[in-house]
Amino acid sequence: MIERLFPIIKRERRATVLAVIIILQALCAMFFLADVIIDLSEGGHLDDIHLVFEGVAALALICGVVYLMYELRDLLSRMEAMDVGIRAARGEMTTLIDVFFDQWQLTPSEREIAQFILKGISNEAIAQMRGTAPSTVRAQCTRIYQKAEVDGRAQLLSVFMEELFHAGEAVGKHI
Amino acid sequence: MPMNNTMNSGHSGARSLVVWDPLVRLIHWSLALSILLNGVVVDEDGNLHKWIGYVAVGLVGVRFVWGAVGTKYARFSVFPLNPVAALKHLTAILKGVDTVHLSHNPLGALMVYNIWATVIVIGLTGYMMGTIRFFGIEWVEKAHEIAFSWLLVSIALHVGGVIFDTWRSGVPLVRAMINGRKRIPKDRTVN
Repeated sequence: MIERLFPIIKRERRATVLAVIIILQALCAMFFLADVIIDLSEGGHLDDIHLVFEGVAALALICGVVYLMYELRDLLSRMEAMDVGIRAARGEMTTLIDVFFDQWQLTPSEREIAQFILKGISNEAIAQMRGTAPSTVRAQCTRIYQKAEVDGRAQLLSVFMEELFHAGEAVGKHI
Repeated sequence: MPMNNTMNSGHSGARSLVVWDPLVRLIHWSLALSILLNGVVVDEDGNLHKWIGYVAVGLVGVRFVWGAVGTKYARFSVFPLNPVAALKHLTAILKGVDTVHLSHNPLGALMVYNIWATVIVIGLTGYMMGTIRFFGIEWVEKAHEIAFSWLLVSIALHVGGVIFDTWRSGVPLVRAMINGRKRIPKDRTVN
């Protein structure tokens, strides 16, 4: 299990370091903020230069924490995009399709239909194979497109085509 | 026309999805460690107990900000505090529905909010015990102790829930909290 975890931890080193810094810096920010509040409540005044510095330090730390949080989120989403690209380049398209379907939270029957759509089968043929009315299939397609946030058949395909096109780029950029 | 493929051709065994980001995992295990230290190891009258308590509350505070601005599955919006949904989830379990939730399941979400709230109550009452105004006042100390007992009950339920849901959904949840990935067995629907 450790061996299996290790490469992942190594790959996520930057994100992990960032997360550690966020936690430590947030705790420091809390410390300074509490210190300023206690000083003020004990009769400290804002014209005291020491207190002003402490206040500015607390504010800077808080801004830093929030900024680093946005940075971390950005880094993680870039890592995920890269991961998708690499999997597409490796030809793991079926796994990738499954992952997308999971993220869109498709039901089992929607998954089947979405797979047929990706294979270029017409709605009528899908209805025939599944033994349902074409109108049912059309309604299910609409729901799939809604969940995937695309306009229709062509755009659904383009979601996966795009990953293939960008795959080489992503691999090249990050090595 | 290649339409005679089996419908399950897309299911190539288990698939794994990145769910818990490093910050979520670090906060989870740091909070667990601070509870363990303060509850079992550290002398409760000492200074260290106080500082670990502040850290625990700070960790929950960071998690709250991350719940607002963080990654997809770390956000409050994907696991809202919803007792009705939790109840529905419970009846679904009894009926044998085995869908997988990518973030916390509704019942787990309830426990998560409960543990965070309890940690904050413990921190607050603990802080009050050290102030001049509340020092030695009995109800504050009582509240601190009751909240800690409740935390222990909650943790027992939490661990039990994790074991049960690992068995029910087939997703190794402890591993997911270590490496961030939920390994979803094939033929499970994600909800």
